[in-house]
Amino acid sequence: MSTIIPIGPFHPVLEEPEYIQLYVDGETVEKAEIDLGRIHRGMELLAQEKTFDQDVFLVERICGICSASHSWAASLAMEDIVGVGPTDRARYLRTIVHELERLHSHMLWVGLAGHILGYWTVFMWGWKYREPVLDALEMITGNRQNYAWYKAGGVRRDVADDIWPEVVKIIDEFDKNNDILIGAFLDDPVIHGRLKGVGVLTKEEAIHYGCLGPTARGSGVDIDVRRDHDYGAYSEVDWNVITQPEGDCMAVSVVRLLEMKEACKIIKQCIAKLPGGPIATEIREFPRGEGIGHIEAPRGESFHFIRSNGTNMPERHKMRAPTFLNIPSFRPRVKGETISDAVLIFAIIDPCYSCTERMAVLDPTGQSLMTGKDLIKLSHEKTEKLKREY
Amino acid sequence: MSKQVIENLRTKFGDRVDIYEHNDRRAYVTVSNEDWMEVLRYMYEVEGGRLTTATGSDRSTGVELLYHFAIDADSIVVNIRTTLKKPFPKIESLTPHYYAADFIEREIFDFLGVEFEGHPDPRKILSSHDRPADFHPMRRDE
Repeated sequence: MSTIIPIGPFHPVLEEPEYIQLYVDGETVEKAEIDLGRIHRGMELLAQEKTFDQDVFLVERICGICSASHSWAASLAMEDIVGVGPTDRARYLRTIVHELERLHSHMLWVGLAGHILGYWTVFMWGWKYREPVLDALEMITGNRQNYAWYKAGGVRRDVADDIWPEVVKIIDEFDKNNDILIGAFLDDPVIHGRLKGVGVLTKEEAIHYGCLGPTARGSGVDIDVRRDHDYGAYSEVDWNVITQPEGDCMAVSVVRLLEMKEACKIIKQCIAKLPGGPIATEIREFPRGEGIGHIEAPRGESFHFIRSNGTNMPERHKMRAPTFLNIPSFRPRVKGETISDAVLIFAIIDPCYSCTERMAVLDPTGQSLMTGKDLIKLSHEKTEKLKREY
Repeated sequence: MSKQVIENLRTKFGDRVDIYEHNDRRAYVTVSNEDWMEVLRYMYEVEGGRLTTATGSDRSTGVELLYHFAIDADSIVVNIRTTLKKPFPKIESLTPHYYAADFIEREIFDFLGVEFEGHPDPRKILSSHDRPADFHPMRRDE
């Protein structure tokens, strides 16, 4: 008979709510049940009440890490409805910011992986090297996160050309540090022991489960929206899609580490080739129609579908983040592994639950059951209670 | 010149599919409820389409399903559309043939109340556990 071990709803490592039930026989995991729905915010419904311009700001807040990915995908969907493309300068600026985002997202994951493995040096190095990338993003867009940078037709603000040497310096420094980290990560026998052969996802399973991004590429599935569905400036610069055939946790980690090197290459080429000219195509109105935008976010493909009914608000805005399709791949990965490896396996897809779920708790009449004030009151009561007890 | 996959769909299904090519990277294919599963399975098993996601929406004609298949080799997204009758929309599930559809179909069931016949795990997925079983947030019923 199997025992059920609950993990969550508050994960001890990842700062987001998730709830996983592990069915175990002794130390061996037989199956895993994943229960979502703890951070759902109803953004698809909310998007129908915002104008197209506001919508881009809304989708930016789906995820704190992929602020550029969702707003770019939504902008592409809007451009698809209107039938215009961005200007050349906008394409390059968009690509630079998006690849900087990939750098800091992957580096954050490397740090978290070190944290999960108990390898604190990797955690601290990873997060230390990530910080200058956020500085570069702040220099270009004005913000570390939620850049408010993308809009249908192009980007919102232009950048003074004198900041680029500083950005290139940051990227060079990052690339050098990344090499040290890759060396430390790939040569370490402890990391090999913890990652090699653990949580294998075969190529057939990855395709059947619809996996995306580094999760799929780590299993040898050669997909990348940047190459397969040309957008941005990716077809005009030299870079490679990284794949690894093994499908274990090590392969996915290697894909992420090497992808950071490719991202550095892309950014430096884009800065060197950055054309002048206007930063956005003017869009005066959105005709009736349907549009699709999809881009390769750090975790895989982000997909946006927008239907316009000729007004200034979308009739339907469907958004799908990569984690939504990557989560089910836990099931084949974790089967037959030990409990100690399970947490690492859950983290290998770089899960982002806020992206996956998008509602507030409402009763059937649409009234909020709790307001922000109620939650603060609850929190104060809990603190008072704890103070009394201890 | 249409992409290969569009030509293939025209040759194989003839009048049974209504194809609208938005541009050379986006195509919308409308099919009847009866041909639905055959076209979906053809897209996955023969054309090698990757189910990126599916959009369910409540429209005046009924509940509309739009499955988005990306054909990576051909740089095109083919969208398969069908409309289900309200008040109890029901259609065959793709999940037994293509596991990627599992969460996607559960989400549509959760928000729009579409019953997917043959789905191995037909439970709600994202909305809260105390939501009444007959209340679907994205439905526009009175």
